[in-house]
Amino acid sequence: MPPKRKAPGGQANAAKAGRVSAMSTPGPATPRSLDSSVMSEADEDFDEDVSEAQREREAMLSKEADEFVNKFTIGSRRMQGQTDDKEVRRFDSATPFFRKRDFSHLPLKPDHQNRPLWIDPYECTVVLERFHPLAEQATDFLITIAEPKSRPTFLHEYALTPHSLYAAVSVGLRPKDIINTLERFLKTALPDMVRTKIEEYTRSFGKVKLVLKHNKYYVETMDAQVLQTLLKDEEIGKLRVHGSDKVTTSHAPTLGGLVIPGTQNAAGVHQANLKQAGMKPGEAADASNEADLFTALNEEDDDDDKEAVHAFEISDADVEAVQKRCLDIGYPILEEYDFRNDDVNPNLEIDLRPNTQIRPYQEKSLSKMFGNGRAKSGIIVLPCGAGKTLVGITAACTIKKGVIVLCTSSMSVVQWRQEFLKWSNINPDDIAIFTAESKNKFSGSTGIIVTTYSMVTNSRERSHDSKKMMDFLRGREWGLMLLDEVHVVPADMFRRVISSIKSHSKLGLTATLLREDDKINHLNFLIGPKLYEANWMELSQQGHIAKVQCAEVWCPMPTEFYDEYLRANSRMKRTLYAMNPRKFQACQYLINYHEARGDKIIVFSDELYSLKQYALKLKKVFIYGGTSQAERMQVLENFQHNPEVNTLFLSKIGDTSLDLPEATCLIQISSHFGSRRQEAQRLGRILRAKRRNDEGFNAFFYSLVSKDTQEMYYSSKRQAFLVDQGYAFKVITQLANLEKTPDLAFGTPQECRELLQRTLVDNERGAEDDVETDDLFGKVSRRAGGNGGGGRKGNGVRRTAGMLSELAGGQDMAYIEQNKAANKALKAAAGRKKGGAGPGEQSKFFKGIQREKEKSRARAG
Amino acid sequence: MVKAVRGVLIECEPAIKSILVHIDSTHHHEFIIEDLDETHLFVKEAMLHILKQKLEERLKETYRPEEPLEDSD
Repeated sequence: MPPKRKAPGGQANAAKAGRVSAMSTPGPATPRSLDSSVMSEADEDFDEDVSEAQREREAMLSKEADEFVNKFTIGSRRMQGQTDDKEVRRFDSATPFFRKRDFSHLPLKPDHQNRPLWIDPYECTVVLERFHPLAEQATDFLITIAEPKSRPTFLHEYALTPHSLYAAVSVGLRPKDIINTLERFLKTALPDMVRTKIEEYTRSFGKVKLVLKHNKYYVETMDAQVLQTLLKDEEIGKLRVHGSDKVTTSHAPTLGGLVIPGTQNAAGVHQANLKQAGMKPGEAADASNEADLFTALNEEDDDDDKEAVHAFEISDADVEAVQKRCLDIGYPILEEYDFRNDDVNPNLEIDLRPNTQIRPYQEKSLSKMFGNGRAKSGIIVLPCGAGKTLVGITAACTIKKGVIVLCTSSMSVVQWRQEFLKWSNINPDDIAIFTAESKNKFSGSTGIIVTTYSMVTNSRERSHDSKKMMDFLRGREWGLMLLDEVHVVPADMFRRVISSIKSHSKLGLTATLLREDDKINHLNFLIGPKLYEANWMELSQQGHIAKVQCAEVWCPMPTEFYDEYLRANSRMKRTLYAMNPRKFQACQYLINYHEARGDKIIVFSDELYSLKQYALKLKKVFIYGGTSQAERMQVLENFQHNPEVNTLFLSKIGDTSLDLPEATCLIQISSHFGSRRQEAQRLGRILRAKRRNDEGFNAFFYSLVSKDTQEMYYSSKRQAFLVDQGYAFKVITQLANLEKTPDLAFGTPQECRELLQRTLVDNERGAEDDVETDDLFGKVSRRAGGNGGGGRKGNGVRRTAGMLSELAGGQDMAYIEQNKAANKALKAAAGRKKGGAGPGEQSKFFKGIQREKEKSRARAG
Repeated sequence: MVKAVRGVLIECEPAIKSILVHIDSTHHHEFIIEDLDETHLFVKEAMLHILKQKLEERLKETYRPEEPLEDSD
């Protein structure tokens, strides 16, 4: 073998030499030492480095040369997909490099070049060639049946998981369809291992449905056998409602006349005044989802077999027991809401405004929710700024029943209400807000309530009003429960929400279905499967979200700081790497640079101490947990409309749900360990940039990292999610002309040392200042107070060493004067109470006035 | 009476120097003979091997810190 191998091997080298030169510069991580190992060792990394054009060129290379190559490098055969079926080589010198990932035993189909998918049978991972002509269709299909894992430019990786298959079944795909379609797209035959897995996962999923019809719960199934199993089951059989002994059989529902408002189809319906219910089944589906592969499959189903549905009734009280039992015996129940046949709950007068057009991906996501004319519960994943709110509103307009919206903060409550009024024709009286400040009910028989998670789950003592309100919420049946930013809510909290408020369908919305603690799977069972996940890169290419340049700026630590860093405890370490004066300078430089370009900048810091220090030193406005509601509103308004205020410092309360379409640049100076979610959510703050459609416009995302510290490690971890979404992070080791910045902060070693001393002293003394909980949960009372500020001070007594002059304010008065400078300047400009008084020091009288103003603003908004 | 110690001159980044000094100070100053400037150290030759080892350990810590699982909000 060796001598034989040598000669053609040489030729292979020659053939390849030409190609190597045609390739772009390889990524630094790609090992390229040996020819054959290049192809094998990291072939996926490798593939990503090759551009589409180069790939085509490669494919065009003469067949002869390729055959030589293919005979001797399996990796290259895998990559290029050349026909070499007869000679399946099990072992050669390259085999060890593949370890467990040698799939050369999978026979390639003769026409595999026309098929876009590879499969890893052990991991159930599917790799899609994004540059393939069939990639579009394959993507549609894969999104339905698998979870996207990584989606850079050229190769996408999807994983088949029980949950994703469960989701596929719940949108109406059958195992048979999944296997056939996979078979069609795969370059190799579908491995038996995967086939059995798919069958195993899908066999029981989605067979049993729980339907609320005429306000009675029915257990539905298409399979008579399953029905018998259920009825014979000792627990479920008992729970069946007696007197309705007969098992009803009806036809399977179809999309029928259901039209999702805002789609082109809806417009057509309006024009032709074709709103009669008797539209032919499948017709509507046909028009609105032509591109949708899976619906196409659905339609076929509808045509050939009108399947019978068997159902039996169970009483409301037993729903949970039945659900649990079904899960135990392997038939998880799918929840569906047949809202068009719900005569008991009054209809809500709501429709999208006629000029509202929803975007194609929003339509696609909704069509999955309303796939068969009923509302399915589930989660829709769209990047921040891609119009999650509109998806929620459109869903509400489709269902047209009472809606309860749960969001994370009272700020977003207001935003949700405004959005509802903006996009739909709902009567403003029908949409009410339930927060600590306002507890309105809607006037009519049904309507929309917007509230926060904490309001409905708060089990502590509540005021009379909110208790009454809760009883009102509990006593009703809601058509739809919209769950905003669904990833942040702990599972047990969810259980509480779901058990206390009865709703027919639940729609979760999020940008990052991802938690570091892996509890995300709970959501699949509490709400429903992931119905749709958008591709960030695709949306930004289409201009729906901003194009973002990501960069990581490495800031060296001055020696004094680093010495201190080495000695410090972990808490102080975090403060120190955030307070790194080089980082400070970089931040200042970037702010100057981007303000000069006309960008609006948000600076994020998890570290409260550094947040304040930065904001004070640079004389910028800032918002953190302790900022009062009124002050927040004022600062945000100024940031949005005042050309003088271009930079805003935010603590982590601004991570989610804060809608600031003006922001175009983001600087992150400290962050929450390795949280991928936070990184993505923060990036989301600039994705909705207003100017995104300008020619050549880019938004900027800078992450400032102190060199040689733990931050470097966290930073690489944090980026993982965004990198999987196709973002590339540039590393900047030095900012050009940094030292020429006018009034550069901490330019001299002397100043640095002073900063260090101050940081150390301040943090030893005032450590409690840094205790900041996430605003979402736990701090309800303070946030709710509307005039917060003082809330924290009252929390308890603390004992500190100090001087008498400190008590009189003589110690660091100058510092405090600076303290609120930027925020206070705004206040003065707004013609508010002048002079020094911060909100905490205001007299009762002014507080009252402030509250009034706030309320009227909320009402007007 | 003059006492001679064989030493090695180390040139490194300021950050690494800081780490080395810190290691030295936590080990009874048995490594460093003279702290020369920002980027230079003079260390005992005999201890060089151990110092290297300690440095490796420290660097591993820096880049793989234990992560508190605080993401349950």
